Amino acid sequence: MFTVTFRQNGNGITAEAPGGQTILMAARASGVDLDAPCSGNGICGKCRVRVLSGTVEGGTSRQIPEEEQKAGVRLACESRIVSDVVIEIPDTAGSFRYGIVTADFSHKEDVAVFNDTMEELEALGIPRIENGFSMLQVTLDPPTLDDTAPDLERVRRILTEITDCDDLRFSSVFVRKAAALLRECEFSAALPVERKSDGSLFVYDILPPHEALIPGLSVDIGTTTVTGVLADLCTGRILARASAGNAQIRYGADVINRIIAACRPGGSEQLEKAVSDDTIRPMIEKMCADAGVSPSRIVRLAIAGNTTMNHLFTGVYADPIRMEPYIPTFFETDAFSGRDFPLGVHPDAPVLFAPNVGSYVGGDITAGTLVSRMWAKPEFSVFVDLGTNGEIVFGNEDFLMCCACSAGPAFEGGGISCGMRATRGAISALTIDPETMEPAFSVIADAAPLGLCGSGIIDTVSELFRCGIISGKGSFIREGERVLRDESGIGRYVIVPGGEHQREVSIDEVDISNFIRAKGAIFSAIVTMLRCVDMDMSMIEHIYIAGGIGSGLNIDSAVSVGMLPKLPEDCYTYLGNTSLAGAVAMLLSESARNKISELASGLTYLELSTQPGYMDEFVAACFLPHTDASLFQET
Amino acid sequence: MPLTKTSQKFNASINAFTIGTGDKAVTMGGENVLPFYTFDAPIENAPKIGAEISDLGMDKNVPGIRDYYAGAEDFTELARRASAIPGVDFIAFALDAADPNGEDRSVEECVEECKQVAEGTDLPIVIIGSKGIEKNETLFDKVADALSGKNVLLMSAREENYKTIAASAGLAYSQKIGAESAVDINLAKQLNVIISQMGVKPQSIAMNVGAASAGYGFEYVVSTMERVKMAALQQNDNMLQMPIVTPVADEVWNVKEAVVSEEDIPEWGPQEERGIQMEVVTASACLASGSNAVILRHPASIAAVSKMIRELI
Repeated sequence: MFTVTFRQNGNGITAEAPGGQTILMAARASGVDLDAPCSGNGICGKCRVRVLSGTVEGGTSRQIPEEEQKAGVRLACESRIVSDVVIEIPDTAGSFRYGIVTADFSHKEDVAVFNDTMEELEALGIPRIENGFSMLQVTLDPPTLDDTAPDLERVRRILTEITDCDDLRFSSVFVRKAAALLRECEFSAALPVERKSDGSLFVYDILPPHEALIPGLSVDIGTTTVTGVLADLCTGRILARASAGNAQIRYGADVINRIIAACRPGGSEQLEKAVSDDTIRPMIEKMCADAGVSPSRIVRLAIAGNTTMNHLFTGVYADPIRMEPYIPTFFETDAFSGRDFPLGVHPDAPVLFAPNVGSYVGGDITAGTLVSRMWAKPEFSVFVDLGTNGEIVFGNEDFLMCCACSAGPAFEGGGISCGMRATRGAISALTIDPETMEPAFSVIADAAPLGLCGSGIIDTVSELFRCGIISGKGSFIREGERVLRDESGIGRYVIVPGGEHQREVSIDEVDISNFIRAKGAIFSAIVTMLRCVDMDMSMIEHIYIAGGIGSGLNIDSAVSVGMLPKLPEDCYTYLGNTSLAGAVAMLLSESARNKISELASGLTYLELSTQPGYMDEFVAACFLPHTDASLFQET
Repeated sequence: MPLTKTSQKFNASINAFTIGTGDKAVTMGGENVLPFYTFDAPIENAPKIGAEISDLGMDKNVPGIRDYYAGAEDFTELARRASAIPGVDFIAFALDAADPNGEDRSVEECVEECKQVAEGTDLPIVIIGSKGIEKNETLFDKVADALSGKNVLLMSAREENYKTIAASAGLAYSQKIGAESAVDINLAKQLNVIISQMGVKPQSIAMNVGAASAGYGFEYVVSTMERVKMAALQQNDNMLQMPIVTPVADEVWNVKEAVVSEEDIPEWGPQEERGIQMEVVTASACLASGSNAVILRHPASIAAVSKMIRELI
């Protein structure tokens, strides 16, 4: 065993590690956050650390420039510990957990979009609040020697009287707390109850009188980010909100790598723990503290996530999703309740899942489809959720179809040498002067630039192409001070030159080609889906953009690189985090929940990999803006 | 009811593309119908045949090739012999020895070889690059310079090296460029777009959209060529109207049917005959699918294919 010390910003953690273990494994074992989007396969080059003292073997990948290697920079996943070592973890590691910018209703715009949506849904006959929950305030006759009925009987008596229901059921939480609370509060109490669909009344808890809140929790479990909202089930008021990076990122950036990690010995528990214990539970604690309630009072949960996330969250063996013919265990399930998860919520709380429609189109999309309201319009709409996977829904009030394409992590900064998530220090917008080739950009939180996030990457590629600096294939065709080449001839455009205290921020030909593939996947998926029903782009009247990337996205740039179809700008609507919005709607309203189930059962799932024309469309779309330039010409 | 013949003549046409100079210059393309559809409209420029010679010397295992070129001591003589084969329209000189993973012959030597070839023929010359994609950049630059004024076609400009080749051979020395892609209509078009964006005129570009021996996934080749022609003619896609030149010889003389000896598989019959059959079958299939020129090696194949062209057009 060797002693490993991890240092970040002056803080240190010391742990023991067996000889030959990789730094990444040692970091995971001691709970140190290190981004490893490729799950430690030595591909992505993101898990850089610096060895301050001691020796490691390996980890000198060509992704690390020679000067940095001399300074001790290594890839954590490929360096094996062979002595006592001190490892410096960069500031940016663990950024997935802290301060991630995402659409979680903490911005005024997002709340406004959400409120508008709820109003419009109400107009379509889906009430905002429609659930069986209510808080009953009761005062019992105190027991005497003449009236020796047990506490539970007394409560039963008064509840039957108030509610006219004789099928009463009690949670163990109620039974355990009743005696003490009733006496403490002189036989007055507030009872959170739910009228179930079978007519029975379920008593969840017993609280001091005049407690009014019945908190419910909505969570959007994304592959990269998780967002949550705590809302009052009686009034619909949003009590608190939180977001965090999905701590499963340690086990890989995309769903496939996560499933592979989950299938290793003990992997399923690790991934379940990562999303429940390390991600959602701290969010719940924060939100409950903000709202001034205890987590155990949460009596209903609504979860929207992709199929893989739903499976990994519930601890279901997910390997068949990854293997042909791609079969998940469930689309829809009501088998789970609060006690199945280490979240500290009420053990009897029903856990609702927005139903999945395919192995790669999940509840996040069915929830999002509800929010888009495309199902209520006669004209055709396209709904695009831009995440690690791109999901697309097309249709109108008569039919809906959906597909998923693997865009890869490029929109979230993965697979890009200077890519990062949309956190502090990320360049989120950029323009280039066509004459001088000098860039002008804005950085999130006005911090020093550290890298490029999704919207920054789209802007940069769009501008490089507009200024004739790169060709349609993404290779550099103009020379200048800003265009440098490495020893193997790979060109890069330098946005921020490197210096003593500044890491160079640039985009190279490999990054651009990764991005071109990602945008090609999205565009060709839209085209292929339309072609399946013999329609073309001109039939589309609305395009709804959802997803974390959406907020910073410049539609003009996205169109000029050929990622989204060329349609008038007013066709485009940004809907924010529709998965979360749908989860909130489902939490508060049975009608919304039923509508989501109805939409899910009516969504036709199109498996792109079995579409004969898809590969062709994809190759055609892997060009700036497209091999068929007429699709993007000014009309 | 009388039969009304409908003509599939298109309003767009394949670019007419000329290589070489003077009387012996060769023009291919120019048609506005599908391959061999002479009943719809006349095809002015019949498909062309190039005779391939290699700077590694000619194949010693195939008697017909060995004997035809026997005693040719230098490249001038090789070129002279190749030009004398009946039905040959141009000479295709393959710089195989330049391959950095093979003989790695120097650029200077290769340039010298090209000059020798030029001395031996007045037919147009097509230069086929080596397998060294990077090396072809300097190689083509120097060859384009050495053969300047001869209007040669430099094959093998690919996505990885098109920039230098387009800038030097295409722009500085006004030679013709062959854009090479791998059996995919979109990749073929993308390469034409980026070469044109360098300033090379579309009329100075020919395409090698990739090939395979008959039976080796050839349906992909058929589909690619056919769709290229349909896009060019029907949709008037000017980024796919370049004529297609297909080097057939290099594909067919490396497959099992052409390489395995008669001792090893007696039931297959004589080796040389098999090779010729593969070359003829593949070449005629390429021409029927849309190639405007094929590059062949065996004198007997050249005779057969040129007879086929003569009889069909």
